[in-house]
Amino acid sequence: MKMRPDIDRKVQETLESLDGIQRAEPQPFFYTRLTGRLQHNEKTVWETMGSFISRPVVVIAGLFVILLVNAFMVLRQDTTTSNLGFVADQTEQLVTDNEYVLATNSSFDYENIDRP
Amino acid sequence: MDERILVEQLKQGDESAFKTIVETWQNMVYNTALGIVQNAEDAEDIAQETFVQVYQSVGSFKGESKFSTWLYRITIAKALDHERRKKRKKRFGFVRSLFGEDSEVVVNPPDFNHPGVVLDKKEKAATLFKTIAELPENQRIAFTLHKVDGLSYQEVAEVMETTVSSVESLMHRAKTNLKKKLEDYYKGKE
Repeated sequence: MKMRPDIDRKVQETLESLDGIQRAEPQPFFYTRLTGRLQHNEKTVWETMGSFISRPVVVIAGLFVILLVNAFMVLRQDTTTSNLGFVADQTEQLVTDNEYVLATNSSFDYENIDRP
Repeated sequence: MDERILVEQLKQGDESAFKTIVETWQNMVYNTALGIVQNAEDAEDIAQETFVQVYQSVGSFKGESKFSTWLYRITIAKALDHERRKKRKKRFGFVRSLFGEDSEVVVNPPDFNHPGVVLDKKEKAATLFKTIAELPENQRIAFTLHKVDGLSYQEVAEVMETTVSSVESLMHRAKTNLKKKLEDYYKGKE
């Protein structure tokens, strides 16, 4: 029975052990060490560019743009091809029609067109 | 000097403003980091990282909160990140040691003695810090900010971006948990 109040007292004392605590301070010359670290951390233009390019958002956006350009080019090529196909069909038909014209139109025919 | 003026000067790249900021708040930042990570070297490292971030991202500080509140937030985030990295490293070292690979020997840190605790309370404070480290993250931050950094509940609420009643609740749960853990600890010692 004696144990319980003793434990309670220790618990209470422990909980109160931080009362009146003073603020801890870093070692002297903190600012000097900090500026050393800042200079060490300073990046060159290339490093900054590299870290910007390697950011996931930039990578994903870049891939999206490339895919978009690709899709646009493929669709554009398809339209051009189908237009060219139409022109090719017409040309082919013209050639075929000409092949089946039995009349031979030479300069002699035009010059003597009114003659019986 | 007014903190708003200092911040504006720093935004314009004024080195002397940065020096003034560091000298004004270095103890606060270091003390907060020390309360969380409970290791002097790690706390120094976190304090430096905090000021490096302040230097690099002061442009994103809009002045919606006090500068010190912003500093507290960065310090806490850095300290928690540091702890997570350390835990990951510890787990990784353990897994590597299972496969017989050479890795750093991971030892449990010795009891932490905060330099600001009065001499006759050192032993009990070390026990308390050990027990605080076992608390859930939010309770630990609230308790440390209030008890070690001496912030009021209102200030703790601003730093943690929550309400005063939430801080009160966190503090109540933290004290209950600490009491229970300390009781178990002292019962085990008897």
